[in-house]
Amino acid sequence: MSSLTIRDLAKTYFDPYRGVQVDAVRGVSLEVEQGDFICVVGPSGCGKSTILNMVAGFLPATSGEILVGGRAVKGPGPDRGVVFQSFALFPWKTVLENVAFGPKMRGVGRAEREAIAREYLALAGLAHAADRYPNELSGGMQQRVGVARALANKPEVLLMDEPFASVDAQTRMTLQEELTRIWQERRPTIVFITHDVGEAVFLANRVVVLSKGRVMADVAIDLPRPRRWDALVEDDAFKALSGQVLHLVRSA
Amino acid sequence: MNPALAAWGAYMRWTDRIPAIRAIVPFIPIVALWAIVAEMEVFPRVFFPGPAEVVRSFLTLTYKGILPAYLEDSLVRLVVGALAGMAVGIPLGILVGLSQTAHRVLWPVLLFFQAIGDIAWLPILLIWFGFGLTTMTFIIVYTVLFPVVLNTVLGVRSVPVDMHRAAQSLGASKARILWEVVLPGALPNIITGLRNGLGYGWRALIAAEMIVGTSGIGFMMFDARRAGSVVEIMLGMIVLGLLWYVVDAWILAPIERATGQRWGLVTP
Repeated sequence: MSSLTIRDLAKTYFDPYRGVQVDAVRGVSLEVEQGDFICVVGPSGCGKSTILNMVAGFLPATSGEILVGGRAVKGPGPDRGVVFQSFALFPWKTVLENVAFGPKMRGVGRAEREAIAREYLALAGLAHAADRYPNELSGGMQQRVGVARALANKPEVLLMDEPFASVDAQTRMTLQEELTRIWQERRPTIVFITHDVGEAVFLANRVVVLSKGRVMADVAIDLPRPRRWDALVEDDAFKALSGQVLHLVRSA
Repeated sequence: MNPALAAWGAYMRWTDRIPAIRAIVPFIPIVALWAIVAEMEVFPRVFFPGPAEVVRSFLTLTYKGILPAYLEDSLVRLVVGALAGMAVGIPLGILVGLSQTAHRVLWPVLLFFQAIGDIAWLPILLIWFGFGLTTMTFIIVYTVLFPVVLNTVLGVRSVPVDMHRAAQSLGASKARILWEVVLPGALPNIITGLRNGLGYGWRALIAAEMIVGTSGIGFMMFDARRAGSVVEIMLGMIVLGLLWYVVDAWILAPIERATGQRWGLVTP
């Protein structure tokens, strides 16, 4: 069963400064099975963030269709959890209150939503930070909260928009390993946007390469899990797949 | 140990325990200088009384009940005006901050009326409402209103779009976003607006009391001028400064410490 179906999706907008119509996305179709983990890569301006924003409901589509769990997308909703590059945590709420925010909006009582939040904080390895404020945490910890907050709402699809782009390289590798662990434990459906080929191949079951608003290639990544960086950097299959995807992205 | 260092250490330990000392100590040389100039009788004593006379006048006026009564009048006017200014200013600021249309229509109007200072309204207000409470209330609400509105607009617009989006995709309705995201996000700016508004409002109130008042600290000072009592004028000035310090240190600063600074939105 597919969690996310995108059919002939297109986005055209008018650039008032250049005075031209820009075709950001031109007829993208994509199926994401429930519990799958796909990465969308492409050079900047290929339309990957525009697609994510349309799936999240932040931007209206010019034409085409987006179905999540069989229902057409009309605006943002709790069936699509979003993890932002900017983290977008609420600074005036503690870590626990941030993670409990989704359940709170759905009307879950205090005791139950705090239990849910603690469960997901533990999953993200942050049980000890529940009562702190986001500004007291490092970037890597803040994004762990971002992932826990999105997952605590049990979305049909988890949308991640270059979520690890603004943390340092060491932390990024740890976060990538943790994300694959969390995915293996919980099997959420994940659509992960990135421009980093290595990240895409490391994380995903499938890498979708985008070019000039179109799907250029769809590469299956059959590397065994659990995946760990110290093992994969030397792995021939990983290197071959990375090389293949990199070649596609650079020719895009 | 070096005695200077020892004294410095003792001072730091004391001010750490009783922070009010830090606010009082800088005034010691000022008051001392004032006392010396007054004692040397550089100016005639009636024109330039010393600290002792002002303290005596403070005790007399407090004993007679004049100073507490006037102070109460001024403070009640400030509080009522500030509450009314906030009650109008914060919702208006949120509307202008959130709605592009409201911003386009109201922002130029707000800037225009903000530029007409409080006291510039006095001539027309005196004709419309006469010498009385209505005029004074209008002035203080007017003065508090604009800093609150303008800063609320800034605060609302400073909430990043990703935070709105995060709340939406976690299932928050428009009303919940207003309460859970927009208001707390704008709060540091709203407090700044309130701080400015209260500061301007306090000054405008004293000026208004001088011109139209029949009571209050401003009236007391202007009345003292008629009687030629420099002591009471000085007392009024000192009360104004002290009162502002109290409002700032006991009300505004603790709110800021508990909100914006705690959340990392404002650096202390």
